[in-house]
Amino acid sequence: MIGTNGELLRQMKTRIEGIEDLVRELKTLGEGIPVVEKNARCILGFTHALRFGISDVAEVNTEGGEESWEK
Amino acid sequence: MSSPERNYWNPFVETLPREKLGRIQIKNFRKIFSYAGAHAALYKEKHQGIDSEDIKTFEDIRRIPIIDKGDLRRAQAGKEPFPFGELLAVTGEEVAVFRQTSGTTGTPVYVPESWESWQWRVEVWCHILWMAGFRETDRVFIPFGYNVYVAFWEGHYAAEKLGCTVIPGGALDTRGRINKIREVRATALLNTPTYGLHLAETARSLGLSPEEMGVKRMLCAGEPLPDATRKRLEESWGAEVYDHIGGTEPCAWAAMCEERAGLHIMEPFFLVEILDMDTMSREVDEGELGIAVVTPLGRRSFPLIRFNTNDVVRKGTGNCACGRTSLMIEGVAGRADDLRKIRGVLFTPVSVEEVLRAEFPEITEYEITVQKKGIMDEISLKAEPREEMGESDMKELVNRISDRLKIKTNLRFVVMPVKPGTLRRYTLKSKRFKDLREMQGGAAS
Repeated sequence: MIGTNGELLRQMKTRIEGIEDLVRELKTLGEGIPVVEKNARCILGFTHALRFGISDVAEVNTEGGEESWEK
Repeated sequence: MSSPERNYWNPFVETLPREKLGRIQIKNFRKIFSYAGAHAALYKEKHQGIDSEDIKTFEDIRRIPIIDKGDLRRAQAGKEPFPFGELLAVTGEEVAVFRQTSGTTGTPVYVPESWESWQWRVEVWCHILWMAGFRETDRVFIPFGYNVYVAFWEGHYAAEKLGCTVIPGGALDTRGRINKIREVRATALLNTPTYGLHLAETARSLGLSPEEMGVKRMLCAGEPLPDATRKRLEESWGAEVYDHIGGTEPCAWAAMCEERAGLHIMEPFFLVEILDMDTMSREVDEGELGIAVVTPLGRRSFPLIRFNTNDVVRKGTGNCACGRTSLMIEGVAGRADDLRKIRGVLFTPVSVEEVLRAEFPEITEYEITVQKKGIMDEISLKAEPREEMGESDMKELVNRISDRLKIKTNLRFVVMPVKPGTLRRYTLKSKRFKDLREMQGGAAS
């Protein structure tokens, strides 16, 4: 069953975190520039959905620590 | 990805063993509980003395207070920040979406969503549409002006995210919508059950056969959908018809898969507790009726912690043939606030709909009224036939309806036939049940 594919999940979780880190950096770089700030916010909305669908499953498979939402 | 996996929107989540689903739910419950307590004034008071670190089991969660629509109204009435009051858990600048409840049972509740929380709701709906077979090839027609009501907006955005072609159908009358379905060759509809039936009825009155219009699937929203009504819709349209359950405040939290045999709870997006109706403190057993208490686990802007939906549902038994591991409910028996005692008998309007839709295809519309006649309660049913009927045929039909309703509900109905086209057709939430006893000074319980 695909639900037990731990390595794939772990890799996707890492990429999701990477995207979030990059987008936060972009947001900081583009502070005060609406086109950057607003689009970065939208991307983080989509990665929030991926955290629920992918990262949470990866975490429960490896029993990693809980991350806070307050970043 | 191979085809069995493509049946799932998210194969990882949808086939996850229940024990792991439970661990994700408890972890995310702890997160949203902690976040809500820190950011929404309502919970600072309600959850005083409860530490999120102490929440480790479902038993721990059951000790946390339940909130209901009354709490939400009180948290908004005259409270700052306007209009969301003590429920808002993000800054006003972060609110991107304004929706509200229909106000059917009182003052509307205003629901704010940040972009992030709105995307979370849309993601839930992507699951729902995918389970109902919506795909990139579909042209989805939504025959409404959505206004501030949330379900069709969620369906619209989710269908776009899936890659469907979405055609909004506001600012048209019913004939115009039928023309539009034909013009764009819509393959899928998203509507209330009542309006789905009305569209089919109107199409037939125009000499069209709805089952030949090319609609392959329909997802219903906004009203309860008894199985008899669902089957009538399927026959009318020659389409697969899917149900879901949810509300403006919690979002849609259960939906049908391709098996169309009960509804899957959208785990782990939600924690859904089905609690006994007397004490609201015990999780009911499989096959038992209970009230759904719902916690959406990923929405920060408007956090609901243990929200009493008032939906009376039957907890499902066994696993679904589709392979999803989420908990099932067999269906919605009605709303706790629709339950009435009439002449000492517990009555829910859904029971009438079940009988009429399953056994009386000649009846297209109906309306139930309860009122005091002297000291007695009287329950009456206005029944509208599809077409004019002769006096003796109508008398025979009235007797059959009356007999069937007596068996089904234990109540003797006064059945009154009305002329075709007399009763109101509803676009959004139908109001086919009127209890006039309170207005007459009696007790409507």
